[in-house]
Amino acid sequence: MTHVFRAMGTVVSVLVDGGAADTATLDAVEAVFDDLDREFSRWRPDSPASRIADGRLSLLRSSDAHRECYAEAVRWRADTAGAFTPHRPDGTVDLAGTIKAAATEAAGDVLDATGHERWCLNAGGDILTRGGTPAHPWNVALADPDHPQHVLRVVSLHGARRAVATSGTSQRGEHVWRTDPESTYRQVTVIADDLMTADVLATAVLAGGPATRSLAERGWPVEIVTVDRTSEPACLSGP
Amino acid sequence: MRARIVIGGLLVSAGILAVGVESTVTQLSATTSLVQPLAGAAPSSGGTGTEGTSGTAGAAPSSSPSSSDTSGSSPAATTGLTDGTYTGTAVSTRYGTVQVQVTISGGTFGDVTALHLTDDDGRSVQISARAAPVLAQEAVAAQSASIDTVSGATYTSDGYLQSLQSALDQAR
Repeated sequence: MTHVFRAMGTVVSVLVDGGAADTATLDAVEAVFDDLDREFSRWRPDSPASRIADGRLSLLRSSDAHRECYAEAVRWRADTAGAFTPHRPDGTVDLAGTIKAAATEAAGDVLDATGHERWCLNAGGDILTRGGTPAHPWNVALADPDHPQHVLRVVSLHGARRAVATSGTSQRGEHVWRTDPESTYRQVTVIADDLMTADVLATAVLAGGPATRSLAERGWPVEIVTVDRTSEPACLSGP
Repeated sequence: MRARIVIGGLLVSAGILAVGVESTVTQLSATTSLVQPLAGAAPSSGGTGTEGTSGTAGAAPSSSPSSSDTSGSSPAATTGLTDGTYTGTAVSTRYGTVQVQVTISGGTFGDVTALHLTDDDGRSVQISARAAPVLAQEAVAAQSASIDTVSGATYTSDGYLQSLQSALDQAR
């Protein structure tokens, strides 16, 4: 039985095998997303994130969680040679690139803590699983950017391999600010042990192109699947 | 209840290609020839995913026109591989164009940096070397056509309603 709820501007699907999670557990999962959204969303005018962005609040005076999240994002910027960044082009801080993965990881902790041994969280297309085995893996389909109802590939997750994240332009247009002048890729999927790594690297490779892809493949134990832009239909991925 | 999704030809063909290429990689360590195994792998991928490819290298020798190395674990010293980076000739198959680049270092087979697929739309899909073993399993997945969840570019709440994930969520 899949539990579905809206969070962070998208939809989260919670799938627990071996008996559905009880209401209290699912409420706790939803609360994880809601709490982080209240703190970090730039869509909420009075969130700390919005107040930091417009100067009403100093980042230095923000919560420990906020500063730690910013510090982690800055570390990712360094590790990806700037391809991933927690700053918008106007210089303001936007932690949306890491906060959804952080929320999903935290929601997974909730499920673990309540004794669930096999579950799958899908937060707007980014996947974190637990309990897949070679005989009974979690099968994750990669969406075809041209045909949302079709499947490009299927990846089987089991053991330590638990996460898949995809960044692309097919759903919301160019919401990633590119440093790759050729804009080589329009969809990037990264398969990793943890969702933060998968999510950040997917964004970084989409933004940075083949150079960042090489960096990611050398630096992390991940698999990467990309779809390039050579035959991009004119109607796709608006501004 | 496990949702069953009928997957179109693209997935099936891509899955077989991945198996074919992995087979190529295995053969490469024995033959150093990129072109021949590739050419050999392509015809073997005919059909609709029913030839029982399990994602292991075992499928390779039976379909290869080149000499098969039955030991499969020859020491590097006997492979006769010359160090360097080799790019395979782009081979056109019924499923699109396939190209592999590998690095030989210290006489042993090293990284496959990319394999290159161009599907019917002229679109190119690149897969990293380490993805090959994972993606090889998709042939199995394609046969059982069992999908638990879908990864894609982040959808909005409205976009979700048209997504495959939404259909899956409703199916169980």
